[in-house]
This record gives sequence, C-alpha cells and structure tokens, in this order.
Amino acid sequence: MSKTVFRYFFDFLNGQEKWLNRMAKDGYRLKKCGKLTYVFDECSPNEYEYAVEFVGDQAYSKAKDYRRYLENMGFRTFTKNIYLNFSYGKVSWRPYAKGIGQITTSPGGLNKELLILEKKRDGAPFELHTDIHDKLNIYKTVRRACAWTVLMIALLGIMTFIPNVVSVSLPMAWFLRIALLIFFSLFFIPTVKYSSLVKYLKEESKIFE
Amino acid sequence: MVYIRDNIKGGALTETTFFVLLAVYKPNHGYGIMQFIEKETNGRVVLGAGTLYGAINTLVKKEWIAPFNDESDNKKKEYLITHIGKQKAEEELQRIEQILQLASTVIKGDGNK
Repeated sequence: MSKTVFRYFFDFLNGQEKWLNRMAKDGYRLKKCGKLTYVFDECSPNEYEYAVEFVGDQAYSKAKDYRRYLENMGFRTFTKNIYLNFSYGKVSWRPYAKGIGQITTSPGGLNKELLILEKKRDGAPFELHTDIHDKLNIYKTVRRACAWTVLMIALLGIMTFIPNVVSVSLPMAWFLRIALLIFFSLFFIPTVKYSSLVKYLKEESKIFE
Repeated sequence: MVYIRDNIKGGALTETTFFVLLAVYKPNHGYGIMQFIEKETNGRVVLGAGTLYGAINTLVKKEWIAPFNDESDNKKKEYLITHIGKQKAEEELQRIEQILQLASTVIKGDGNK
C-alpha cells in the first residue's frame, strides 16, 4: 500500500536523509517524490537506506553525468528540489552555485538540486563522501546555499522598514516581518550547523586525509 | 567537486589519488576501482561513490588517467592510467619507500635500545 507524505526540509541534506532512513526503518520505501510530496511503498523494515546529495551548485550537464555514474554504481536515484532559487519565469538564479551552474532553467537543472540515492541495506555505511576535503567542499557549498537564503530574507526584512518600498498596511507589514523572521530562523539553524561541521572538518584535515 | 590535495613541494599524493592510479593499471570502471581498493586494503579504505567520482574527473582533467572506452550500449565507462599517471605513481612509490626507510630506522632503532 502506498503512503503519501507532505514535507519540506529546511535542513535539506542531513535532515532529509535522516528522515528518509527513519521511514525505511519503519518499512517504507521511496517510490517517487514531488515538490513537497514523498510517496512510499511498504517494504520490510530496514530493507533499504538512503543518502542525499547536493548537486544544485553544478551545471545541469555535470549533474546529469553524475547521476548516470551513480546509477551505474547500482544506486536507485531520484531528483528533488530545494526551493532556494530566485526565479523569473523558467529561468532561475542560484547565487551559491559555481560558474554556469548559477543560471538554471526548466526543463533543465531547476528543481533538481538534490539527488536522493537508495541502496539495499548491506551492513556497510552508506557514505558518498569519505575524504575529509571532499566532505569539506560539500558542506561549504550547502552552507553557502543556506547563507544566501538567510541573507536574502534579511534584505527583504530590512526593506519592510524602508518607507514607500512596501505599500501595505502597518499590521500587514508586521505580519510580513514576523513571517520573514520565522523563515530567517529556520534557515539560520542549518547555516550554523554546517558552519560548525566545516570548522570541525578543517581541524581534522590538519591531521587526517 | 573534488580537487587533488597533493603536497606540491613534497609531491605527496592523497591516498585516494594513489589508489585510483593503481586501480587503473588495467582498464577498470568506477565500481571496479572501488572494489579493487576495498579488496587490496582488506576493507581499510572504502571509497565513497561521490569521492571516487571527483577523483576520477580530476585525474582525467590532469591527464593522469584517460577513458578507455565510450559509455555506450550500456557498457560502463572504463579508465586506464596514462604515461604521466604512471610517472606520478612511480614517484609516489619512491617517496613512500623513503618514508618507510626513515620510519623503520627511527622506530625500530628506538625499540632495540
């Protein structure tokens, strides 16, 4: 029997991965995912496990090549959005990405910023990145994506205090400010979390590879 | 995604780089490289698929390894070490032998006292 769950993850990498693995532990296998939905099929508890990979900083061709490589390695893959783009029509700006990856389109890499990978649980840890410097790069990129969102929300918040910029009533302006403050906090928490991970890995990298 | 953190002055390669070079002395694909490293290190080194992808791409860019076939007809892309790659692997072997010699002298020398 299928089960549909609506969910959005502010911590789209580790938070989402932990949740998918909790679902797998309870006997749910990911069937497909939409923008805010996840559809699961029932399976034996702990039969599968999941890893989430961030590819939103890469050009679409590179991300596609990486997905094909991972499928050749035997993983089942799904693409997933993160909603951290600044869009105009079907073109989107991703300030945290590298080079040409900053501009993305639909169809293309838009709303495919994440890869969800599935493998049968075999006792070995499901780690995509085993090199400290590689992990550092990933966490720095994710931190950059979160930090950009925090910055944009902060700028929007500041704009509500500038006269004649936002033409709404005072109660509405305060409603907007409170909503922005909530979103600010929700993205600020993962920014701090990934910053401390980066700091820890930088220390470790002085001693270990 | 990944860069090779080789010590420019000392010429030291990362363990990942060196193992990938060793794994492609015969044509090998991504999964084969991963298995080779895990088997030859008795499970001490298990490369993540993401880390391996970055290492392969960087080594291809540096021309230390090269694609051996095209990824067509569902055949997995294979890689083979190049002449430059072999040179780098030999240099790394010499470096490790020097370290081994020094470490043996110091550590075993101390132990005999």
